Amino acid sequence: MEPIISFKNFGFKYKTQSSPTLFDINLDIYPGQKVLILGASGSGKSTLCNCINGLIPFSFEGEITGSLTVAGKETKKSSIFELSKDVGTVLQDSDAQFVGLSVGEDIAFAMENICMPRSEMAPLVMKNASLVGMQDFIDHVPFELSGGQKQKVAIAGVFANDVRVLIFDEPLAALDPQMGMTAVSLIDDLAKDDERTILIIEHRLEDVLYRPVDRIILMGGGRIVADMTPDDLLKSTLLKEHGIREPLYITAMKYAGCSLEGNRNLCSLEDLEFSPENENKLKTFFTSDYKPLPENQNEPIIEFDHVSFSYDGKQKVLSDIDFTIRKGERIAIIGKNGAGKSTAAKLLCGLIRPSEGEIRLGGKDIHPLTVKEIGERVSYVMQNPNQMLVKDIIKDEVGLALQIRGRSAEEIKNTTEKVLKACNLFKMRNWPVDAISYGQKKRVTVASMMALEPEILVLDEPTAGQDFRSYTDIMNFVNALNQEYGITILFITHDMHLAIENTERAIVFADGQLIAADRVCSVLANEQVIARASLKQTSLYRLALKLQLDPESTIERFISYEAELKGGEIDE
Amino acid sequence: MAEKSLGQKLLGTWNTKTIVAVAIGAALFGVLMVYGGVPVTTNTNLTTAMIIPVVVGAFFGPLPALVAAGVGNVIADLIGGWGMWFDWSIGNGIAAFFVGLLPVYGAYVTEGVFNWKHAIIYALCVIVGNGLAFGVVTPIFTTLFYGGDLNVTFIQAIAGSLSNIAVELIVGIPLMFILAARSKSRTNLKEEE
Amino acid sequence: MNNRFVINYTPGPTFLHQLSGFTKVFLFIVVTVAIIATYDVRILWPLCIISIAEIVSMKPNWKPIIFMFLFTFFTVTIIGNIMLFVVSPDAGLNNVGTETILWTSASGRFYISKEWLWYIYVVWVKRTASFASVMAFALMTTPSEFASGLNKCGLPYKVCTIISLAYRTIPDIANDFVDIRNSMMMRGVELGKKAPLGKRLKNHVTLLVPLIMSSFGKVGNIANAMDLRGYGKNKKRTWYAEHEPTKYDRIVRGITIALGIATIVYILWARIIDPWPAKIWAPFVDKSAIQQISLEESFFLFRWLKGLFNK
Repeated sequence: MEPIISFKNFGFKYKTQSSPTLFDINLDIYPGQKVLILGASGSGKSTLCNCINGLIPFSFEGEITGSLTVAGKETKKSSIFELSKDVGTVLQDSDAQFVGLSVGEDIAFAMENICMPRSEMAPLVMKNASLVGMQDFIDHVPFELSGGQKQKVAIAGVFANDVRVLIFDEPLAALDPQMGMTAVSLIDDLAKDDERTILIIEHRLEDVLYRPVDRIILMGGGRIVADMTPDDLLKSTLLKEHGIREPLYITAMKYAGCSLEGNRNLCSLEDLEFSPENENKLKTFFTSDYKPLPENQNEPIIEFDHVSFSYDGKQKVLSDIDFTIRKGERIAIIGKNGAGKSTAAKLLCGLIRPSEGEIRLGGKDIHPLTVKEIGERVSYVMQNPNQMLVKDIIKDEVGLALQIRGRSAEEIKNTTEKVLKACNLFKMRNWPVDAISYGQKKRVTVASMMALEPEILVLDEPTAGQDFRSYTDIMNFVNALNQEYGITILFITHDMHLAIENTERAIVFADGQLIAADRVCSVLANEQVIARASLKQTSLYRLALKLQLDPESTIERFISYEAELKGGEIDE
Repeated sequence: MAEKSLGQKLLGTWNTKTIVAVAIGAALFGVLMVYGGVPVTTNTNLTTAMIIPVVVGAFFGPLPALVAAGVGNVIADLIGGWGMWFDWSIGNGIAAFFVGLLPVYGAYVTEGVFNWKHAIIYALCVIVGNGLAFGVVTPIFTTLFYGGDLNVTFIQAIAGSLSNIAVELIVGIPLMFILAARSKSRTNLKEEE
Repeated sequence: MNNRFVINYTPGPTFLHQLSGFTKVFLFIVVTVAIIATYDVRILWPLCIISIAEIVSMKPNWKPIIFMFLFTFFTVTIIGNIMLFVVSPDAGLNNVGTETILWTSASGRFYISKEWLWYIYVVWVKRTASFASVMAFALMTTPSEFASGLNKCGLPYKVCTIISLAYRTIPDIANDFVDIRNSMMMRGVELGKKAPLGKRLKNHVTLLVPLIMSSFGKVGNIANAMDLRGYGKNKKRTWYAEHEPTKYDRIVRGITIALGIATIVYILWARIIDPWPAKIWAPFVDKSAIQQISLEESFFLFRWLKGLFNK
């Protein structure tokens, strides 16, 4: 069979960069395959896909070496328009690629551009919409849709041409866990067509493996590092070496001392058959005694006392929210979009005020305080650091809040230096803010908040859009702030890994109500809470069920073991 | 990069990126017109919307600035609901063209180039552009389109152009310096102890 | 979204809503040109009433419309006329061509004439008609119909996409704006009245930099998404939002053409065939009594310059 995509000694260098981003790519992908292209940020995986769909060299100028053919066409000699007839690309940012003002219009966008008459367009739009299950939303505007629905529209939008190759660039980046699962299933359904080739570009291995893939291509440093089956890749040490997080159940198996050889269907927990020896090891590990997690007994720092809120006085966005957070706790605030978690954060910051009830900071009602005064005690770090950065130089950005408050130059200098050192940015203090990576920018925004020496840090989706390495960096940094300065940390997040590894308790919102405020292991083991909050069962939970163990204690044992491991690292 | 001709600098390059950027500029213009008022007294606001043509001009040239301001103004009129007044839209467009001349006199903000010499030329463009747009063009069209009295219109237009000039100078110049500083190419970054 | 916005993103259910984008844009353009080109209340009143009838037929939410009407009435009409009284008591003479004084102040500096009152009445009708036609158009048209209709009227499609894309991004940018403003307020940036004006303006720089950087940061992604779906490949494009003309579209387009022809005929008649010597027609003015007032005499700047020159 002829390959549909064929790279031969292919290389690419961006015009703006001094060294190539891709080297020596030799790769054949055959019609009907479902391939995962795996890699950390900067590994070259997105560049690779942009070469296939023609964005390179159409939008990103640079030098191409070697050859790449897609559906028999040499891409260098083709154009993005030609290639779009065979290759459909669903970009990472489902909001940015929604250019129409309604679902129907966005699906029709490609048809409009080839001047298809409206009489042909309307039925085809309907047909493509039903392909992704969006036929009942044809007149909906983008602002009414969830991230998952926008992504479905984006998929329908590339079917204007009868594309043979579908590329998904980080399809899970902007989705909550349940939508992510739906997306992976939808992609799998599309892959059922034997003629259709599917490429998925991701670094979230466990989430993609929710449905099987034929091949995994692991990228690192602009080269293809591995081209193997998922099972072989999981058994190798390549994941760790290239900054990819392994599935949680694999980590659990390693903790229990299991050998990864000799288990069938390693890549899918549902079909996985443990060797008898491994099953015993796992059961022993999870039922052995462990050090219970310490409980925080400090004085309360945040108290929501039967708080309700409504914008118009009629419909309550939050009703009767009641919880307490103690000093130095790390809390995950969880819930799907619109559940009320960001409203709760706004209430805490004083941007909006409760219609009923009282919010106390350190035992005192915040009602008489201004936003600016609360801002000196509660720091809110927005999801997108680009929405916070003002100054051009890192140290000026960090000193901004002090400068605004008219502190002396001396004090600004001293505090800024202290914060920069604590945040591990001191060596970069004179760098321009736009010269650093997204993860580092995030760190600068946290540092700029730390200058006011807040008691509470609220981080909105701190790990969104970041690979495992950058995630680990940020979490280590935030945890250090928590341990060394006793700062209370609130994470607003969808990321269950983050909750398991970095928080003690979770506060869960659904439909404007507080549905749980409990230890993370208890929340994650509570099926009702998981379902109402659109969360996904972690693979630890499913592992516990598979081994017929109690999920709550299984998860707790896992967290406790990890804490021990970390404690050990610090002692060494 | 090859030096562009004057015509190219004035017209801008109309690829998909420019179209999207002008659309975003128009949207920002609309949003700032509705929300971005700086309160002066209880009933008067200085709008920061007129900063947007400066930015679009700095990034893409004067004609894109004109289109962004013109479309932005029409949209702001429609969403703000205060009626569509073509006399002011045309004036805003003309003023936008002048304040967006930056690349034409060598202020390549996207490449980090903006110094005091550029700031002075920019200030002159702001004054001339607003003077021409609101001192001449808008009054003519107000009289022509809506039968407004020339005397009244002229006084209103002067007030409008003074507030625009104030915003474009007091907010615009520091903004251009920051945007230029943030766009400077960064080489030889060294860690310091 | 703020309920001050009258724009509809989804088409409504009434007769006018169901018309095609081209029909709506064409009607709006013809009505606007007719309003702009005439100073005759005999034409302006019907145009104004048609527009108001259009608004009524769409059964809109009246609250924001009335609020905005009063707001415009206050700023444009009341304040404008007070200024007019002070600086141009002779506006009646200049525009209507005669002067019948009704009242004079003790000093003789200020006066009100019958023609002055007629002038402000005509301008008010003209502005109200204009306001009503814009409101009717805003209520009946979705942004996509606006874009596709303008394209059908001959505007290049790239400009039309700018319009629809701008509408697409406005709600997102408005949300970003509010978020960024909140975050800056928490960092202690004074944007309200507490700070002196100059400082307040400068503080807005700290708000605008992240708004501009993050908004324009999206350009690349959106442009790529459009390029990947073949945007800009052809000289023309078709529009999903522009449905085929129905029977009603043809009827409304016919009426619009008739209205356009009527406007041209009126202008030919009133300006060329049987010209009325003053700018504004008034029922109580005799054609032969009208005086021609030159621009130097009516515009204070020219009067002042002339005075300087003569000295």
